[in-house]
Amino acid sequence: MTRSFSRWVLVSYGIYLLLPLYWLLSMAVRTNAEIVGDFSVLPQSPTLANFAEIFSSPVWYQAFGNSLTYVAINTLISLAVAIPAAYTFSRYRFLGDKQLFFWLLTNRMAPPAVFLLPFFQLYSAIGLFDTPLAVALAHCLFTVPLSVWILEGFFSAVPTELDEMAKIDGHGFLYFFFRVFLPINRGAIGVTLFFCFMFSWVELLLARTLSGASSKPIVVVMTRTISASGMDWGVLAAAGVLTVIPGILVVWFVRKDLVKGFALGRVS
Amino acid sequence: MSSFKPHDNRAWLGVLPVVLIVGFSAVIPLMTVLNYSVQDILDFNSRFFVGFQWYRETLHDPRFLSAFVRQITFSLTVLLIEIPLGIAVAKGIPKTGRLTPLILILLALPLLIPWNVVATIWQIFARPDIGLLGVGINALGISYNYTSEPLHAWLTLVAMDVWHWTSLVALLSFAGLTAIQLPFYQAAELDGANKWQVFRLVELPRLRGVLIIAILLRLMDSFMIYTEPFVLTGGGPGDTTTFLSQYLATMAVGQFDLGPAAAFSVIYFLFILLFCWLFYTSVALDDDS
Amino acid sequence: MAQITLKDIHFRYPGAEQDTLSGLNLDIADGEAHALLGASGAGKTTLLNVLSGLLSPTAGNLFFDGRDVSQLAGRARHVAQVFQFPVLYPSLSVAENLAFPLQAKKASAASIAERVDYICDELAISELRQRKPHTLSLFEKQLVAVGKALVREDVSLVLLDEPLTAVQPKVKWRLRQTLRKIQGDLGTTMIYVTHDQTEALTFADRVSILTDGGILQTGTPAELYQAPDHEFVGHFVGSPGMNFVPNAALGVSMGDRLGFRPEWAVLDDNGPVKGVVKSTRVQGTRGGEPYGLVMLETEYGELAIRGEISRAVGEHTALSVHRYVAFSDKQRVGEGEFV
Repeated sequence: MTRSFSRWVLVSYGIYLLLPLYWLLSMAVRTNAEIVGDFSVLPQSPTLANFAEIFSSPVWYQAFGNSLTYVAINTLISLAVAIPAAYTFSRYRFLGDKQLFFWLLTNRMAPPAVFLLPFFQLYSAIGLFDTPLAVALAHCLFTVPLSVWILEGFFSAVPTELDEMAKIDGHGFLYFFFRVFLPINRGAIGVTLFFCFMFSWVELLLARTLSGASSKPIVVVMTRTISASGMDWGVLAAAGVLTVIPGILVVWFVRKDLVKGFALGRVS
Repeated sequence: MSSFKPHDNRAWLGVLPVVLIVGFSAVIPLMTVLNYSVQDILDFNSRFFVGFQWYRETLHDPRFLSAFVRQITFSLTVLLIEIPLGIAVAKGIPKTGRLTPLILILLALPLLIPWNVVATIWQIFARPDIGLLGVGINALGISYNYTSEPLHAWLTLVAMDVWHWTSLVALLSFAGLTAIQLPFYQAAELDGANKWQVFRLVELPRLRGVLIIAILLRLMDSFMIYTEPFVLTGGGPGDTTTFLSQYLATMAVGQFDLGPAAAFSVIYFLFILLFCWLFYTSVALDDDS
Repeated sequence: MAQITLKDIHFRYPGAEQDTLSGLNLDIADGEAHALLGASGAGKTTLLNVLSGLLSPTAGNLFFDGRDVSQLAGRARHVAQVFQFPVLYPSLSVAENLAFPLQAKKASAASIAERVDYICDELAISELRQRKPHTLSLFEKQLVAVGKALVREDVSLVLLDEPLTAVQPKVKWRLRQTLRKIQGDLGTTMIYVTHDQTEALTFADRVSILTDGGILQTGTPAELYQAPDHEFVGHFVGSPGMNFVPNAALGVSMGDRLGFRPEWAVLDDNGPVKGVVKSTRVQGTRGGEPYGLVMLETEYGELAIRGEISRAVGEHTALSVHRYVAFSDKQRVGEGEFV
């Protein structure tokens, strides 16, 4: 493989990546009439009407709100429990530590479909069905092990001398943890946040199962966009565009941490 | 993990929150599933213990077996395309320069799109009436229609999965490649090694770690795939693109056959664990340490 | 092995304001063991990369056996390099690593096997032949890397970039010894780059002192020690380095500063340079008396005298010099003796 062959592969793949995205954008700015009419590669009379409909229709913007809510809750819970756990794994040995770590990872290997029914029954039984909290907790099954795994890798790379220095300086553990340790690991937390978001925002099966009428997430609303005149492609495409944006924003904000994380991390 | 860590069982306090949350989400449901898998549940009040009957039935169920075969075919196909393609794409990314962060962000995009939106994008893209790809292929004279032709449905699903996940392999491989220090390339140049030898002897050994992760992740996730085929083809035409997750979902939620569904779930989970374990040990045994 | 000539070599990195290498001239004989000694940032790595073909000089020419190779690609120059850490192919065994440069040149299997055997014997690594690199110690890996660099009989030049860096201090001397021996046995032209003068002076036939992209002086270790051309050479070579005093201190009119080696001075209460004994370091005995370094704190700074330790710490005494080198504006202008 020569350098120029690989460049060609990259460029071709880049075009392959962009084409469907272009098409999505192009459909999002067309009216349904134009879409079902004559085919054209470029939009004839671009319009923002589809976006307007989404922003003005409660079904749509509530759905976005619901999704963002459970993603935020999930990320918060995941980080809140994974950080202490990762710190513990990286600094101490204890009875059953290796087995516990391994058990956590096996949860990542569980097919979500297996949990459909039990989750449905469980959350109904405790009265959390049809709430963002249910989806957030359900996603924790996958995001928490992943977070612990990523964070432990980074935390282990921070030398324990740091902990000792803080103790010698007379600072309590809480001061050390929140004012010294966590700020140093900003990159790690950024990477973890990215992966939690990446999983929770994109997941459909569990989100659909655990949401009823009042907490419908965007992923569900999008799979049912049929109006009287058939499939509302324009609005659907506009909704699609809007779901891509949070992802772009998240990766833009954590891009430096990602690069650092990839360079250091478990992968090498 | 270094060996300088003190042993302290009070550390369990630190991991307790994680254990509680994951345990709540994992243990209770799994116990439920195991419980159901060995019972015949006619209705809320009448259940009978039936031992391994559901397991036997599932393993002999022709629809289960065909879904299983389809699943394996799909997973192997996408793996065989995504791994080499991902490595090739990674090799094309300049290791330094202003373009590099932009390229990485572009590659990360498909990974950040909700899975149903991925399928929706491809729906719109591949439809023979309104899609750029669909119209384009039909304009070349091929009557392409992924909703009515099983082969077309398969090809479109594979193309969509490649579009969706190759970036993961590419980004992981890029991370591995950038970790290789310059002297290794220099030495190969002075030895007179050709490009293929440089790839095989300098780069591939160092990519081993990331490739194991990439293959494991893709193997697992493609085996669990649900959303994308569901939205794009609905499992059709007929059941030609119905893979394991969808079959299970239909059984569990649609038809309320709790016992067989539970048995299916257990078998499904065990298979994935088995694949992962087999792959990991065969690769780990490769190391003579 | 080849004779190497650098003629007025300049190199500037793209976008840099100054040359990293400016006007280097050097002749290295065929089969010579040559060391490039300099501090970090002096341009050693850049020079190595120009020699190996990774970089092309921005001006000047490089000749191997009279042939201009300045623009020739690395793989065509028949150069091999040993790096600061062992650079081997991780998936190949030691024997396969050693054979690789020969296979790339399409040698016959029989001649390859013979040559690999020879190198293994020379370096005493025959028991490691079937092992993979990750099972070896750093020292063993670096030995294999050295073997790999020497395996081609037609290699023009072997470059060594601080090859002892990654090896444990306890075995550095063994690697140094091995390098010296194998260079002598095989007669390969070797250029050894380092910032450590012990490595340079014990390995090389001749040493070039590199600083700020230029060569201050090239000579045998003895020449550099006895007759440094520049104050920097006097200071850098030798442990401790040369002592410097203004020429007025010794009543000499040549140049502006005088340099003298610790062995060229003696403790003498009546000597011209007065001072207080700051510390002593015993390094052995001569005729039953302790012998070593005496550090004297004087008005010109701390000066080192090597000889009999005849004074104790805190004593007031002086030194007199029997031999010196005179410098004017840091360049050597002459030398002299006091009888």
